[in-house]
Amino acid sequence: MTRDEFLKRLRRGLEGMSPEAIADAIGDYEAHFDAAREEGRSEAEVAEALGDPGRLARELRLEAGIKRWEEARSPSSATNAVIAFLGLGAIDILVLLPILLPVIGVTIGLYAALLALFIAGGVMLVTGPFSGVAIGPAVGFAFGGLGMMSAAVAFGALLSIVAIWLVNGLLWFGRLHYRVIEPAIKSDRSTQ
Amino acid sequence: MPEAIEIQLKKGVLGLCVLALLSRGNSYAYEIASKLSHAVDMGEGTIYPLMRRMQNEGLVGTYLEESPSGPPRKYYRLTDTGRASLAAQLAEWRSFTAAVEGLIGHVDAVPADAEPEQGAETRDDA
Repeated sequence: MTRDEFLKRLRRGLEGMSPEAIADAIGDYEAHFDAAREEGRSEAEVAEALGDPGRLARELRLEAGIKRWEEARSPSSATNAVIAFLGLGAIDILVLLPILLPVIGVTIGLYAALLALFIAGGVMLVTGPFSGVAIGPAVGFAFGGLGMMSAAVAFGALLSIVAIWLVNGLLWFGRLHYRVIEPAIKSDRSTQ
Repeated sequence: MPEAIEIQLKKGVLGLCVLALLSRGNSYAYEIASKLSHAVDMGEGTIYPLMRRMQNEGLVGTYLEESPSGPPRKYYRLTDTGRASLAAQLAEWRSFTAAVEGLIGHVDAVPADAEPEQGAETRDDA
């Protein structure tokens, strides 16, 4: 494999990441080829010693996902990191999938339910005083709405703790699958 | 999966090796990779995801330095966190290897011909 081909395959593997992150990674490997050339090593030799660019791209992608997740714990960075995790495509990650997907589904479902509870509580709080019944029940109705809203917030916070813990666990598991040590020469044989 | 265990074992120690290398002086990725790939059986390219991870964890920092030939090089240096992590990992490694050595150290003392004899006996029994 030539230098250009290696970089092209790496770039293809990194598609979808931020332009700066891609430039950073490509720059690292370009510098590697340059330093190796100074030592008189051939492009093919260096590309072989570097290993499979597709695999390197998958690990760099997860690492970038983890960094984004740690900088900002948002649903979008979580989604991003989990997709990068699944992208590693290791066999035991695929085995985990039938358990993982329902857990992700239930988490999203619970969030939706809590959001609905919050909105319903808000509607009760606002419409309570205008419900046309005697003042006592109307106040009770309004307080009931307030209670539902605070319950939704409390459970939402608890759910977020669990969800963050879940994503952290997945990313930790993903990092275990980095094939950091794998000798590049063997990589064709032992990956996939 | 003995191969997988070996990979995990080496991988666990790789971070420690990088920290130790950097504690002796700042270095750039190519140099780190070539030193490590000679010592430990590893693909050179895999140093980059590792360095990025260590950077994310705040163990190493980077700066650019002019190189004698070509464009400036990205050098890695240990941060204070990295230094603390090196000390902790080193202590852990030393006590771990000492414990393992305590368990396997006597193996050398076993006479070389003791094992083939046992093998022969079991073959007779069979």
